[in-house]
Amino acid sequence: METVAALYRLEDRRRRREGVDPVFLTLVLALLALGLTVLYSASYAQSEYDTLYTVSTRYLQRQAVCAAIGLTAMALLSRIPAEIWFRLAWPLYGVSILLLLSVLVFGESVNGARRWINIAGLQFQPSEVAKFTMILVMARLTAQYGGRAEQFRFGVLGFGAALLGILVPLALEKHLSAIMLMGMVAAVMMFVAGTRVRWLLGAAAGALVFLVAYVSLMGYAGDRITAWLHPEQDPGDTGYQILQSLYAIGSGGLFGLGLGKSRQKYLYLPFQYNDYIFAILCEELGLVGALGIMTLFALLILRGYRIALNAPDRFSTVLSAGLVTLIAVQTLLNFGVVTNLLPSTGVALPFFSYGGTALAVNLGEMGIVLAVSRGRYRPKRQEQRFGLPDQQEESV
Amino acid sequence: MAGKKPEYRRIRMDSGHHRRIRLTAAVLGLLAFVPMALRLYDLMVVNYDYYAREALRNQTRTTYVTAMRGNIYDRNMNTLAASVGVENVYLDPHELKQSRADLSAIAAFLGELLGVDPESIEKKGKDLSKRYQMVAARVDRETGAKIRAYIQENDISGIHLEPNSQRYYPMGTLASQVIGFTNASNTGSEGVEAAYDRYLTGGNDKVVTTKGNNEMDMPFSFEKFVSATPGCSVVLTLDSTVQACLEKRMEEAIARYDVQNGAFGLVMNVKTGEILAMATLSGYDPNDYQAILDPKAAAQVEELRFAYLSEPEGSEGYTAKKKAYQEAMTAARLKQWRNRVLSDGYEPGSTFKVLTMAAALDSGSIDLDTNFYCKGAEQIPGRSQLLHCWRSAGHGAEKTPQALQNSCNIAFAHIALKMGGETFYKYVQRFGILEKTGIDLAGESKGVFFDKALVTDTNKWGTASLTSGSFGQTFKLTPLQLARAISSVVNGGYLLEPYIVSEVLNAEGNTVLKQEPTVVRRTISKETSDTMRMLLRSVVTEGTAKNASVAGFSIGGKTGTSEKIDVFDENGSRVTDKIVSFVGVAPMEDPGYLVLVALDTPSRSTGIYISGGVMAAPTVGSVMSDILPYLEVERNYTEEDAAGWEITLPDWTGETRKDAEKALKALGLTARVVGDGENVTGQIPAAGETVSGDSQVLLYCGETPEAENVTVPDFLGMDRMKAAQAAQDAGLNLLILGNTDISPAVTAAEQSVPPGTKVPWGTTIRVQFLNTKAAD
Repeated sequence: METVAALYRLEDRRRRREGVDPVFLTLVLALLALGLTVLYSASYAQSEYDTLYTVSTRYLQRQAVCAAIGLTAMALLSRIPAEIWFRLAWPLYGVSILLLLSVLVFGESVNGARRWINIAGLQFQPSEVAKFTMILVMARLTAQYGGRAEQFRFGVLGFGAALLGILVPLALEKHLSAIMLMGMVAAVMMFVAGTRVRWLLGAAAGALVFLVAYVSLMGYAGDRITAWLHPEQDPGDTGYQILQSLYAIGSGGLFGLGLGKSRQKYLYLPFQYNDYIFAILCEELGLVGALGIMTLFALLILRGYRIALNAPDRFSTVLSAGLVTLIAVQTLLNFGVVTNLLPSTGVALPFFSYGGTALAVNLGEMGIVLAVSRGRYRPKRQEQRFGLPDQQEESV
Repeated sequence: MAGKKPEYRRIRMDSGHHRRIRLTAAVLGLLAFVPMALRLYDLMVVNYDYYAREALRNQTRTTYVTAMRGNIYDRNMNTLAASVGVENVYLDPHELKQSRADLSAIAAFLGELLGVDPESIEKKGKDLSKRYQMVAARVDRETGAKIRAYIQENDISGIHLEPNSQRYYPMGTLASQVIGFTNASNTGSEGVEAAYDRYLTGGNDKVVTTKGNNEMDMPFSFEKFVSATPGCSVVLTLDSTVQACLEKRMEEAIARYDVQNGAFGLVMNVKTGEILAMATLSGYDPNDYQAILDPKAAAQVEELRFAYLSEPEGSEGYTAKKKAYQEAMTAARLKQWRNRVLSDGYEPGSTFKVLTMAAALDSGSIDLDTNFYCKGAEQIPGRSQLLHCWRSAGHGAEKTPQALQNSCNIAFAHIALKMGGETFYKYVQRFGILEKTGIDLAGESKGVFFDKALVTDTNKWGTASLTSGSFGQTFKLTPLQLARAISSVVNGGYLLEPYIVSEVLNAEGNTVLKQEPTVVRRTISKETSDTMRMLLRSVVTEGTAKNASVAGFSIGGKTGTSEKIDVFDENGSRVTDKIVSFVGVAPMEDPGYLVLVALDTPSRSTGIYISGGVMAAPTVGSVMSDILPYLEVERNYTEEDAAGWEITLPDWTGETRKDAEKALKALGLTARVVGDGENVTGQIPAAGETVSGDSQVLLYCGETPEAENVTVPDFLGMDRMKAAQAAQDAGLNLLILGNTDISPAVTAAEQSVPPGTKVPWGTTIRVQFLNTKAAD
C-alpha cells in the first residue's frame, strides 16, 4: 500500500509538471479565432442596423469579452485536478437546479421564453451551467457504479433520476432544445458507462414518443414539420428562416463570396450571428471553407475522445468524454439544423455562435478536458477487465 | 462499502468502456459528419446555380424610371400633347442619419427652393420607418440642377432626385376629351392617352440593385441599368384647325341660344372614316384636369364646398355636406371628361329620317313619286296615340322629296309601315345602329335601340315603336353611330369604321402602326346613295335647312329636334328640354366631309324658335364656311347666290379703262367710271378687298379717288330686300351669308361691322341671314 501511494504521489507531481495536450489546445484556439472572425463578419450588418449605423462591432465586443473570460477560465481549470469535480458534482448539481428554478421566477423573457437571468447587467443562461453539472454527476455516478452500471437499477434508474433532476426544471422553462441536447449527451454517457444498449434503445423510443407528444401539445407540430420538409411552401413566414439559410449556403458555391462579403447577412437571414452563423460562413468561405471548419471540429472531437481514452482514471475518462460529447452533439445538431437535415431547434455552434455564457462555459469545459489531458495514462499496471469487481481501489 | 461515503478511486476504465468510447468517437467524430458534408456538397455544388439565382432574386431590387412618354400630334404634326423631363425629390432618412447630415439646414434649403414647409421636410427626414420620403414631385430641370449643386457642395448623401416626366398640352382645352390626360402615375386616362397608353408609355428604365433587407445598403453591391425605350408618338386624324373652328362655332351657338347643357359635334371624312374634329362642350384643360372649367358647374361645386366648411367640423351636417360636395365634385369632373360623341346615346330625332328614307328607297318600298298626305294629325292603325306632325296645319299632299324636305312625321310613319318592321330593322342593323362603331377610343357605347320584336312583331306590339322609330324618337344612338351611318348614305353605301389615330411612330420616327380606312359592310346601293345625295341637298336648298347654306358650296343635310323622353323634372313630369341638331354633308356632288352639331337644351329665354333648322343648321353652315376653304374644297358659285360670292378685287390701276371694264364684267361685277381718262388711276374698293358677286366697283380714270366715309346702318331684323336697299343708300356693299331666300321670314341676324361705324365708301359688310322660324 505504502509503495502504491508513493508511486501515486510521484505520478501526481509528474502530472502537474506535464503540459496539456498541445493538439487539442491548438484546435480549441484555432476554432475560437475563426469563430470570432466569422462572428464579426456575420454580425456586422445587424450591429450597424441596431446602432443606427454607428457601431459595427457591437456583437464582436461582447463576444470578445466573454472569450477573454472563457480563456482565463480555461487556463485556470486546466490546472485543477479532476478530483475536485468529483467532490463538487452534487453541490454544483444542487446549485444548477436552484438556478434553473430561479429563472422561472426572476428570468428575463426573450422571444417569449424565460431562460436568462440578469446578473450585474450581464445576461446569464443557467442551462449552460446545468449541462456541465449534469455531465459531472453522470461522470461521478459512472465512477461509483463501475461494473454495476450493467444492472437496471444503476445503469437506468440511477442515471435516469440524476438526469430528470435537471430535465424537469428545463421542461418547466419549455427549453426543448436543451432537453434534447442533454438527453442525447446523457444517452452517450450512459452508453459509455456500460448501460445495456437495449435499455438505451428503449429510452430513445420513449423519448421520441415524449417529444412527439410534447410538440403536438405545443400546437405547432404540423407547421414545424411542413416548414422542415417544404420550406418553400411558406417562404414569407414559417419557411423563411430555413430558406434564407439555404440561399446563403447554396450561393456560397465552391469557394464562397469571400470573407466579409456575405449578402444574406444584411438582415435577410435572421439569427445570422448566432444559431445560423454557419450559413453565413458557408456563403463567405464556400464549400472548401465549410469543410475546413468541419474538419477542425471533427479533429477536436476525435482528439477529445483520445484524451478521454488516455485518462488515468474512470472519473476523468467519463468526464472528458462527456464534455467532448457535449461539444460534438451541439456541433452536429447545429450543422443539421442550418442545412435543414434536421427540423429547426435553437442550438448554437460552439466557439462561433454569438452567446457569451455558452462561449465562456464551453471554453471552461475545454479547460477541464485539457486538465485531464495532463495526466496521460502510462500502462504500467494491469488493466481492469470490464465487468469484474474492483480490487485495486485507492482512496485519496 | 455500503453506507460508506463514495471516494474518488483511481481506477482505470476497463477495455469494455474503452471500446464503447472508441465507437462513440467513430460515430460522433467521423460518421455523423458524412451526411453533413454530403448535404453541403449538394447545396453548394450540385444545386449551386439554383441557390445562387434564388439568393440574387432575394437580394435584388428593381426600380423603374419612367420613360419619356410619346407625343400626340394632329394630322399636320402640330403637337397636342408632349412630355417634359422633370424630377422627383426625395429623402432617404437612413442615409441622412448614416451620413450625419445637418437636417435643419437641408430642410431650410429645400423648403425655400421648393416652396414646401421646412418643418414637414425635417419631420420626413427624421422618419426612419421608410427609405423613401417624397419631398416634391415633378420639379423642373433647373431646380433639379440647383439641388444637385447643393448636394455636391455640401457633400450630402440622402437627398435623391429621380427622373419623372410631366405631360404638357400646348393647345389647352382643344379636343380635351379626345386627347385625354395622364394621371399622377403617368398613366393615360381618357381619350387617346388611355386608348393608346400601351404605345405612348414605352419601356421604363430599369435599375437592378442588390440591397440588404430593410433596404439597407451593402458595401459589395452591384447595379445593372437597363435603359428605357421612349414611348411611341401618336399621329391623329384630327386637324387642330378644323377642331378649333368647330369648337368656336359651337361656343358661339351656346352663347347665342343660351344652351343649358352643353353641345357636341364632330367632323368626319365620309370616304375614309377619319375623324377631323370631335368636340364636347364644355370641356376641360388637360393641363389641370381636376379643375372644373364650366363656370356654372364650378360655381355649384364651390357653393357646396362653402356649405360644408361653414358647418362645425366633425358634426353630422359637416360630414353629410362634405360627402355631398365630394360627390358633386366627382360628378362634375366625370361630366367634363366625358366624350359625349361616342359615350352617350341621344334621341336623334328627324336626323334619323335620312336612314329611314334611304332604307325605304333601297328596299324599293317607296320611290321618288310615292304620294303622301299630311293633315297635321292622323290615327295610325296599331298605334294608340294620335300621331301629330310638327306642323299642326299639316303639309298637305307631298311626294317623297317633300316628305324629307318638310321633315314630315306622318309621311315617315307611312314610309315605315310600307317598308315593314323586318326591313326597317334589317337596315338599322346594316347601318350599324345596333353595334359600336369600333372607333379606337375607350368608353364607346352603342345607344339603346328597340328589341327586334318591338318593331317587327306589329301584331303583338302594335306600330308605335316602328312609326316613332322611323322619325328617330323613343330610342337612342350615339352621335358617332349616326355620323357614320349617314356617311354611308352619301358615300355610295360603304359603312366605315371611324378612326382617330392614323399612325403610331416610334422614337426613331418609324411607323409602328398605320390605320387605313376599313369598310365594315355595304348598306345601300350606289343608286340609292346618289338619290339620297340629291334629296339631302334639296333639304338645304328647299327644305328646313336653308339656314345651313354657304355660298359656293353645295351643302346637304338634315335637321333634327328631339325631346328628351327620359328626363323628368322634380314633379315627375316629362321635361320639354330639347336637343337640336343638324347633320350636314359637303360638297354634295362628291361628298367629302360630314359635320354634326347638336345643342343640348337651348333656353326659351332668347325667344328664338327652338329647332335644328334655326339653331343647329346655321352653326353647321358656319363651320362649313370656315373649314371647306381650309380643306381646299373647290367653290362653285351659281348665278343664284351671286350676293354671297366672295370676290377678291385685283388691281386695275394702270390698265386701260376698256380692259378693266371687261375684266369686271367677267367677274359679274358692275363698273361705274368716274372721270374720262383712258387709263385707270384708282379704284374703290381698293385692290385686295373682298366684295360680293353683285357689287359695284368705282373705276377712277384720270381722277384721284376720294376717300369718303359713310356710316354703317343697323341691318339686324331686315329682310334681304330691305338690307340691300339700306346698303345701297349708305354706299356700302353687302355680302350675304347663310339663308339666301328672299322672304320676310329670313332676316339679318348678324353683321360684320357694328352699326354706326364710319367706314370708307364701298366697304363690304358681311351679313348673316337666317330664317328664325324654320322648323323640322
